[in-house]
Amino acid sequence: MKPRFLLIAALACLPAALAGQAPPAAYTPPRTPDGHPDLQGVWQVLNTAAWNIQDHNAELDVPAGRGVVVGNAIPYRPEALEKKKQNYADRATLDPERKCWLPGVPRITYMPYPFQIVQQADKVNILYEYNHTLRHIYMNGNPHPEGPIDWWMGDSRGTWDGNTLVVDVVHFTDQTWLDRAGNFHSEQLHVVERYTPTDRDHMLYEVTIEDPKVFTRPWKMSMPLYRRVESEAEVLEYECYAYLIEENWNKR
Amino acid sequence: MKSDRTLVVAVAVAAVVSLSAAMAASGQGFVAPGTTKKGPGARTWVAERAKLPPYSPPRMADGKPNLEGRWGGSSSGDDIEETEQVDATTPPWESYVSNPADGRIPYQPWALAERNRHRAGLARGVTGESGERLYTDPQTYCLKSVPRYAQRGFELIQTPGYVTQMLVWGHYHRRIPLDNRSRPGAEAKFWMGVPRGRWDGDTLVVESTNFNGKMWLDSVGNFVSPNVRITERFRLVEASTLDYEVTIDDPGVFTQPWTLSYRLRRQGAGGGGGGAARDPYANEGWEHACHEGNTHHVEGTQRLGFKWFTPVLPPATR
Repeated sequence: MKPRFLLIAALACLPAALAGQAPPAAYTPPRTPDGHPDLQGVWQVLNTAAWNIQDHNAELDVPAGRGVVVGNAIPYRPEALEKKKQNYADRATLDPERKCWLPGVPRITYMPYPFQIVQQADKVNILYEYNHTLRHIYMNGNPHPEGPIDWWMGDSRGTWDGNTLVVDVVHFTDQTWLDRAGNFHSEQLHVVERYTPTDRDHMLYEVTIEDPKVFTRPWKMSMPLYRRVESEAEVLEYECYAYLIEENWNKR
Repeated sequence: MKSDRTLVVAVAVAAVVSLSAAMAASGQGFVAPGTTKKGPGARTWVAERAKLPPYSPPRMADGKPNLEGRWGGSSSGDDIEETEQVDATTPPWESYVSNPADGRIPYQPWALAERNRHRAGLARGVTGESGERLYTDPQTYCLKSVPRYAQRGFELIQTPGYVTQMLVWGHYHRRIPLDNRSRPGAEAKFWMGVPRGRWDGDTLVVESTNFNGKMWLDSVGNFVSPNVRITERFRLVEASTLDYEVTIDDPGVFTQPWTLSYRLRRQGAGGGGGGAARDPYANEGWEHACHEGNTHHVEGTQRLGFKWFTPVLPPATR
């Protein structure tokens, strides 16, 4: 575990607080055969949001970092803020990532693993290294299916706004968190993601979080996504639950 | 404790809801075990294939054959030598092994003994078992490898430089680069291996290495070592038929390379259901969260005394 944390920590020092600063530049991305912006490739964040989406100092195995929340404050309802504090105190046991469950959206985006975007006419697919998570963003015009549905990764429906891929996500469980620091949501979570290519190797990733049960108003995250430019960059595998089950089995 | 139990129930309900929704979406009703109409085994398929007229596949913009689509499953996955008998009145089915011709996996003697040991320890209540609870099929824990990922089918898509396979089952995906790139060092091991693809005429050839050897080939203990090289060949032989051949090369375990032959059918090509015209969601693959509702399998098999399957290394390399 340790070498990976150190590597991420080192990388995280480089792009200090680019989040929220880059206005969508006048960049025209290449097109897919269907005529849509081509976002394909292997992407990854370079930040510390996996540990804490807000500003935080370092701790053992946790790199310090500026947050990805626009304005840094999260507008919790009072009782929800109490729960967040309790989550933080008990994060070593309560964090669903420790159980290797599907991490939900947008948490999966800023975990320290790459993901690959593969586009089709009827959907944009995101293939994440973490837990071989597969996400279909349907572009076929279908509305969200009728709920209530408890899906770990929600139901994603996309549209194009100029060069920006806009994804509307609903139908979540209340079992996933937003980071390792106990930031959380309910099953009423509604996420809107915007993926805007700003040059050949960067995208601006903006997220609006809405959840009237937990927050007093919608709030935003913003961060760059970086193309993995190594000539043989590829998504490998992080089979979280396989490692967890084996480790627990052998401890018995 | 109470909240834990509530959670497990919620998760299980969510899993059932999403599974049945996915089945409804793919136009498949529930089929009772033993009544599933099976595709042909290797011998029948290879004979049928030989009689097919020459077929020129549709092409992608780059001139390569267009293999895109949603492809149905390869087999039940219960036994690739398919000696399955539902009960005493049904004959055994046909092996999926096309080479050797006898349909048996050409294990070296020590390896056959090892496979038989796995099988005797399954504790399924089948004749010939030792009574020992040894290992359960690792797929019980929502895990896959090659070629077993194809068991329940996949969607295949082709983009510049890549072939991608996407499964509904367990949200698995497989990214196959076609640019002749290098492989990780042999010490880097993966559940799904590391695939590299190329075109051999109109056949897509995918060679995978770097396996960790922790996954079985089927549910009855057939195995490979971490040294295995698996070569898959995909060829469109009719508009809705994908020929799928898998050659397994693992000289420390087998006496020769051997081959599985499957016929994959384009999903939705069999009629019925009405497809997207009747259900706009018919072509969507909805979430199949597996591990999240699987605690009872993990803890249940542990409690029963089953061991975690560890890779089998050839005696000479131990």
